[in-house]
Amino acid sequence: MKKMLLTGVLLALSGAGAVKVGVLLPLTGAGSVSGQAARNGYLLALDEINRSGGVLGQPLDLDFADDGSSPAKAVPEFVKLVTVDKVDFMAGGVSSATSIAISGPAKQYGTFMAWIGAAAVPVEDAFADHKYFFHYHPWSYYNFEAILDYFKYLKRSKGAKNIAIAYEDGPFGSAGINDTVALFKKAGFNVVMSEKFKTGSGNFGPLVSKAKAAKPDIFYWVGYDTDALPLATEIKQQNLDVGLIYGTPPSWPVGFEKNKLADNIAGLSLWLPSSPQAESRKFVAAYRKKFGNMTEEYFAPLAYVNLKTLAAAINRAGSTDKDKVAAELARTNTPTPFGPLTFSKSNKTQYQGFKAGNWLHFQFLGDSRVPVYPVKFAQKPMVWNK
Amino acid sequence: MELFLQTLLNGLLQSGLYALVASGLALAVGVVGIVNFAHGEFLMIGAFLAWGASVYLGVDPLLSLPLVAVAVFAVGALTYRVSIRHVLLAPELNQMLLTFGLGILLQNLALMLLGGNTRTVTTPYQGSSLRLGDLSVGGPKLIAFGLAAVILAGLYAVLYRTTLGRQMRAVAQNRRGSQLIGIDVDRVYLIAFGVSCGLAAVAGVLVATLLFASPTVGLVFALKAFAIIVMAGLGNLTGVLWASVVLGVSEALVQTYVPGGGGWSDAVFFLLIFATLVFRSFRGAR
Repeated sequence: MKKMLLTGVLLALSGAGAVKVGVLLPLTGAGSVSGQAARNGYLLALDEINRSGGVLGQPLDLDFADDGSSPAKAVPEFVKLVTVDKVDFMAGGVSSATSIAISGPAKQYGTFMAWIGAAAVPVEDAFADHKYFFHYHPWSYYNFEAILDYFKYLKRSKGAKNIAIAYEDGPFGSAGINDTVALFKKAGFNVVMSEKFKTGSGNFGPLVSKAKAAKPDIFYWVGYDTDALPLATEIKQQNLDVGLIYGTPPSWPVGFEKNKLADNIAGLSLWLPSSPQAESRKFVAAYRKKFGNMTEEYFAPLAYVNLKTLAAAINRAGSTDKDKVAAELARTNTPTPFGPLTFSKSNKTQYQGFKAGNWLHFQFLGDSRVPVYPVKFAQKPMVWNK
Repeated sequence: MELFLQTLLNGLLQSGLYALVASGLALAVGVVGIVNFAHGEFLMIGAFLAWGASVYLGVDPLLSLPLVAVAVFAVGALTYRVSIRHVLLAPELNQMLLTFGLGILLQNLALMLLGGNTRTVTTPYQGSSLRLGDLSVGGPKLIAFGLAAVILAGLYAVLYRTTLGRQMRAVAQNRRGSQLIGIDVDRVYLIAFGVSCGLAAVAGVLVATLLFASPTVGLVFALKAFAIIVMAGLGNLTGVLWASVVLGVSEALVQTYVPGGGGWSDAVFFLLIFATLVFRSFRGAR
C-alpha cells in the first residue's frame, strides 16, 4: 500500500500523465523575432490554462525546441519531440522551409499538428493529405488576396500602376511568385521588376539600382526581418522615388519603428496592439502584466490563441485521442484578438483557421505601426510619397 | 549607362567591407599559419559591442570603433594564449577543429546572452548619400570604404615600415629561422592573431552600422573572406585588395545583369574560388 502511495505521489510530482505539447519554433536565426514572440504567447496561454485547472485535470506541459530557422535542424528536433519526448500534440511552426522539411516525419508518425505559421503553398501541398493538420495562419494566397485588394485601392486612389517586386529566394519568398506576378498583371498593374535576393546578405545596392531604373510606384518586398533595415537604408541612400514601400516579413526587427528610415514603410499584420476588439484588449492587458512590455508581433497572440484552443479541444474531447481532439478542434468557434476563429477548408487542407479578411495593412508612422487599410479600420490617413 | 556605373560603384563600395574582413583573416593565415574559422564570430562580437555602445551608452558606433578594436584585440590575444598556441604544431585538421569549435562556442554564447533577435542601431547618417550626377553613393558605405582603405594602408605601413611588421613577415616566411635570429615568435603570433581579430571587430562595427548585429551575422562575411584569401593566395595581404574588388564588383554585376541574379550572388564566390584554383593548377602545371 505504502509502495503504491509512494508511486502515486512520485507520478504526480513527475507530471506523468500530464498532456504534453511539443512546440517547435525558430528561437534563433532568420525567423527568431516571430519565434520569440510566439514563445511569449505560448507561455502566457500556458499560465492561463494551468491557472484555470490545466488539461484533463493535470497541469499542461510544454516542451519547447528551437529549429534555428533551419530545415536541417528542424527535422531532428521534431523527431526528438515526437519519438523521445513522446509529446501528445505538436504546436508552433513559423517558417515554411522548416515546415516542409518536417512534413515527412509528421505524416510518418501521424503527428497531431496545430500549426501557427508556414504560409507558403508548398506547405499546404505537403500537408494536404494529413488528417491531423490544423493551420491557423492564412496561406500565402490569402495574404496575396489582402495585398491585391490594398494595391487596387492604391491604383484607384493614387494612380499606382507600376510594381517592383523583390523576394527572398527561399520558399517563403519564391513559392508562388509567378502566380503573384500573373495576378498583378491580370489586375491591370505593370510588374516592372521581379528580382530575387539572399535573405540576411544585406547587399541590396544592385537590386535598388535596378528598381530605380524601373521607376515603380510601389516597391513590394517579401523577405525576413534581417532584410528590413538594410533595404530601407539602401532605398533612402539611392533616393528611390516611390509612392509606397510595402514589405511582408513575418516580423520586423526589434526597434525598427524608432528608426527614421522606417517612416512610411507599410506592411501586413494579422493584429496590432491598438486593435479595439475586446479579446485583443484582454490579451494586451495580460501580456503587459506578465512581461512588463508589449509586442507588436502578431505571432504572440497567434500562439496564444493556438494553445488556448488546442487545450480547450482536448478538454472537450476528454482524452488525448487524436481523432476525438481533431473533431473537437474542428468545432472551434471562439472570439480571438484577430476576430472569430472557426476552421474550414482551404484550397487543399481540411482545417484552415484565419483567412484573407483577417489581415490589416499598417504604416510605420511616428514610432509605431498604425492601421491604414481597410479604410474602416484606419486610425490615420496613409502617407503616399509620390 | 547610368545603371552600369551605379552597379560598378555599388560593387566597389561593397568591396571595402570585404577587404577589411578578409585582411584580418589573411593576417591570421599568413603570419600565424592558422585558418581561423571563428573569424566571423570575432566580427559578430565587434558588431554587438558597437550595438551595445549605441543603445546603452548612446555612443555612435563609429566613435566606439577604436575601443571595440582594442577590446577585441585583447579577446583575440587571450584566445591565442589560451587555445591557438597549443595547436600550432598539431596537424591542420586539429587546428581547424579548434577554430571551428571556437566559432560555435562564441555564436552560442551570444545566443545565450543576447538571444537570436536581429539588433539594429540608429545613426543620423544612416540614410545619407552623396550625389554624383545621377549616381548616388551611400554615406555609411562611403565611410566604411574610406575607413577600410585607411586601415588597410595603416596595416600595410606597419608590415613594411616597422620592426614589428618585418618580424611578422619574417615569421610568416620561416618560423624556425626567425627564432634562430632572436625573434620572439610567440609574441609575434599573439600580436598578429590579436590584430586579426581586431580587424574583424572593426568590420563588425561597420556591419552594425550598415546592416545589423545578430549571433549569425559573421558567417556571411567569413565565407566571403575565405573566398577572397583563396583568390589572393593564402596570406597574401596585398592580393586581398584586388580580390575584394573582383568579388564585390562580380556580385554587383551578377545581381544587376543576370536574370534572378540576387539568388545567384552567393554562388559568385564559389565560382571565383573554383576559377582561381583551376587557374592556379593550370599555371602550376606549366
